[in-house]
Amino acid sequence: MRRDRSAIKNSIPAISRELCAKLLGDLEKAKRPILYATKCALDNAIYNHKVGYLTPGDKKVATELNVSSVKKMSRAIFMLEVILRNIDSGAVNTKRELYYIGKGEIKGSSKLKPLDFQDQDESDETIDFVCEILECYREDLNCYANDRGGQTYSQQLIVTETLADGEQAVIELSKLGTSPFMPKNRPQNLSLSVSKKIDFCLIVESEGTANTLVANGFTKRHNAIVVGAQGVPSNSVRGWCKLIQEQLKVPLYFFGDLDAYTMQNIYRTLKAGSAASLIRNQDYSAPEVKFLGVLPQDIAKYDLFDYPVKENDAQEVRALKKADDALKNDPFFQDKRNKGSAEILKWLLKNKRRCEQQAFFSVDPKDPTMPEKIIIDKIKSGSYV
Amino acid sequence: MARDNKITTSSTAEYFSKNLQQVGFSSLTKAVLTTLKEAVDNALDACEEHGILPDLKIIIERLGAGTMKNSERIRVRVEDNGPGIEADDLPKVFGEYLASSKFGRGRCTRGQQGIGISAATTWAQLTCAMGARVISKTKAQRKAVSAIIEVDIKNNRGNMKQRETIDWDRVHGTLVEFTFDGRVQVNGEAGILNYLLGTSLVNPHLSMEYKLVDQEPQSIERVSSVIPAIPEAIEPHPHTMKLGEFMAHSHLYGKIKVDAWLKKAFSRVGDSVLEEMIKSGQGVNRTLLSKSLDQANEKDFLTLFTTLQNMVLKAPPTSSVLSIGEDSLSKSIKRLGKVDFFSVVSRSPTICDFKPVQIEVAIARLEERVTEVDAPAQVLRFANRVPLQFDKSACAIVQAITSVNWRSYGLAQPKESLPLGPYIMAVSVVSPFIKFKNASKETIDASDELVEEIRRALMQAGQKLSRYIKAESKAAELEEKTRYIEQFGPILVEGLVRITKAKDDQKKRATDGLMKILGRDATETKNEVAVAAKRLEEVSGEER
Repeated sequence: MRRDRSAIKNSIPAISRELCAKLLGDLEKAKRPILYATKCALDNAIYNHKVGYLTPGDKKVATELNVSSVKKMSRAIFMLEVILRNIDSGAVNTKRELYYIGKGEIKGSSKLKPLDFQDQDESDETIDFVCEILECYREDLNCYANDRGGQTYSQQLIVTETLADGEQAVIELSKLGTSPFMPKNRPQNLSLSVSKKIDFCLIVESEGTANTLVANGFTKRHNAIVVGAQGVPSNSVRGWCKLIQEQLKVPLYFFGDLDAYTMQNIYRTLKAGSAASLIRNQDYSAPEVKFLGVLPQDIAKYDLFDYPVKENDAQEVRALKKADDALKNDPFFQDKRNKGSAEILKWLLKNKRRCEQQAFFSVDPKDPTMPEKIIIDKIKSGSYV
Repeated sequence: MARDNKITTSSTAEYFSKNLQQVGFSSLTKAVLTTLKEAVDNALDACEEHGILPDLKIIIERLGAGTMKNSERIRVRVEDNGPGIEADDLPKVFGEYLASSKFGRGRCTRGQQGIGISAATTWAQLTCAMGARVISKTKAQRKAVSAIIEVDIKNNRGNMKQRETIDWDRVHGTLVEFTFDGRVQVNGEAGILNYLLGTSLVNPHLSMEYKLVDQEPQSIERVSSVIPAIPEAIEPHPHTMKLGEFMAHSHLYGKIKVDAWLKKAFSRVGDSVLEEMIKSGQGVNRTLLSKSLDQANEKDFLTLFTTLQNMVLKAPPTSSVLSIGEDSLSKSIKRLGKVDFFSVVSRSPTICDFKPVQIEVAIARLEERVTEVDAPAQVLRFANRVPLQFDKSACAIVQAITSVNWRSYGLAQPKESLPLGPYIMAVSVVSPFIKFKNASKETIDASDELVEEIRRALMQAGQKLSRYIKAESKAAELEEKTRYIEQFGPILVEGLVRITKAKDDQKKRATDGLMKILGRDATETKNEVAVAAKRLEEVSGEER
């Protein structure tokens, strides 16, 4: 069931106080409090084809208060207090800033000294634990990641952002010149409209290539949105693509490298979310997105340059190994609706070759719009999975 | 062959005077240690033999430069409260080789052949032209005898010089003093201090005072007043002999019949064995067995020897070995320094290579050395209660120690090496027939059976040790848990109270509840510590 994020966010203080009251009540009865959190791992991931993303199973991680967990729980309650103060005042922070805020609080009180964080990993763990027990996103706790990727170009798109003070800002992307629009990591504050019907949205793995396409006139010739993913999509890119899918109901195409890493870590995450973020895939995945390429058959069709996976390329070798595992255990690749993606993984495992998105520039070196032509040709001819 | 070469025989004394390196005088530092060792061994053997609790006084002095290059003139004086030596026996004891009361008798005494002390006299004589100065008094004598004993190297005889009777305020005892060229090494594995501490460890009934060169005088008190009873000798087992030894053994028995000799001179040879020898059909018959021993020829001995070798014989009795005992070792080990825990194992006597043997092991952790976590454990080796200090790598004891996987008992150990840490591992091998690698008795021959027996003793000691280490880590865990409760409990409750804006009485109840919950955890650990401690007591109980 779709949960209303703003409702959840507004209820965080109440949920927190309720949880703390229960903990306190248990303690008063000398009963050992237990906190349950959804297990965010592949073995608890279910691919629900009706919604199109990975959803959590029934597995919960129980943290019982005992001597070994008392430090973890004390830290969580300490961090929760800081966060609730933020929510109350409307202040936002990154994880690193919360780390320093925590250190600052502890510095001022000798009593809190044992809680001190040795490095940011320790405070990050604490923040994640708070999210897990409250079953919310860290964005709900006013803790935002640095907005990375998602540079968006369009001549038709208009974004309306509701600001913290309730005012609205209207951004017409056609008026930004060569500058892209950067979606914020708060999709719930944005609403989309169009000045003219948009035909499709193209998400490009390399933000450089996205920029090239636009500079060469892609958005002038086509009623489209071009988004640069900048590698593994950040929460803001994932939320932004979801928003485009929901509000504009246009087809989405992903254009990236033909390799195991792109297929599993970039495309799969964009389309169906990840196992680590099971509780947030609902709002951070765009199940309608299609894989436009590079497809294995494109190599022959366009005579593209491809090359074997280098044995010393640790990332690719690891990704290939993971691909083998994914075909056996990952519910996304196992589902028959994603057979096309699974076939690509199988092809990669078998051939151990890769082909980059920029290889389209080799088809006709004298024509800078060649990649654009191929992309449009592929969309029109249905050459995607 | 050159005809002019006259073949001569040399005396035993002549042989050893030219080969003193074989009996422990291979370096200046070893000369001091060997001299001390021989004097102490003799004193302790004499006391034990006569049921006297030994009191030793040891003084080692530097008198100046020696005659040899880089040497010092050293005086070693050892005084005991033993039975004393009759004046006429003094030249024999201190000046004649192989004049021993213990040679080949199959007993667990320290000295065996009667070489060592005469070698010490020879060394003094060769380096400083001065024999051993001896003062001795038996209980029957009113006055003591003082004399200089020298070795007549040509004839292997002791000469007594400057003999006089003097007043000596001792009931009985012997003082022996050697002045010779040497060099004193007090500390270290091969040092004198190590020798003295080792000797005190395996001789709980020993008291001694010592003054080593410029150090302050020290004393070590006895921790047991039980004089070890040295079991009676046993005859050798046929399977431990070679043909030559077998034949030589016959010379000790003169004109008796062969069957009587076999029964008397060897252990585990009786009437039934003789019957079986005949039945085995390897050439032994009644005629041969009833022959007079002095009439038997080489062929007869060969027949008898090979027949015995091919038979299955019972292992010799183990009653001839002497043990220090776990109780005495436990007390004694505390004399090594401040020991924070130890484990002691005394194996039952057993047979290795057809020789009765008993292994005893003591492992201690020394408090003053706890910082030495990376240093190898100190190994103390003993053969018939004599410390062995040289050539350790080839020794059966060290081989056994390195073959044990100490990591499973909680000790650090590089592969196939001695374990690391502030530990002392003392291993005592007691047997009437210890096989040494050399005449100076520095290394025990590493036969597979002996190494395995030592290894088993070490593993038992290791198991006890690991229980101590476990108890320790449990205690540390408890401490950690208690600290956690005290630190985090109040923080957690106060945080919850602030968020929920709870009242003071709620806070108090929650604090009490939390302490109850965490206290249960701590109690659990406390119980584990108690169980570990109880097991420990059981172990110590076994030791007592």
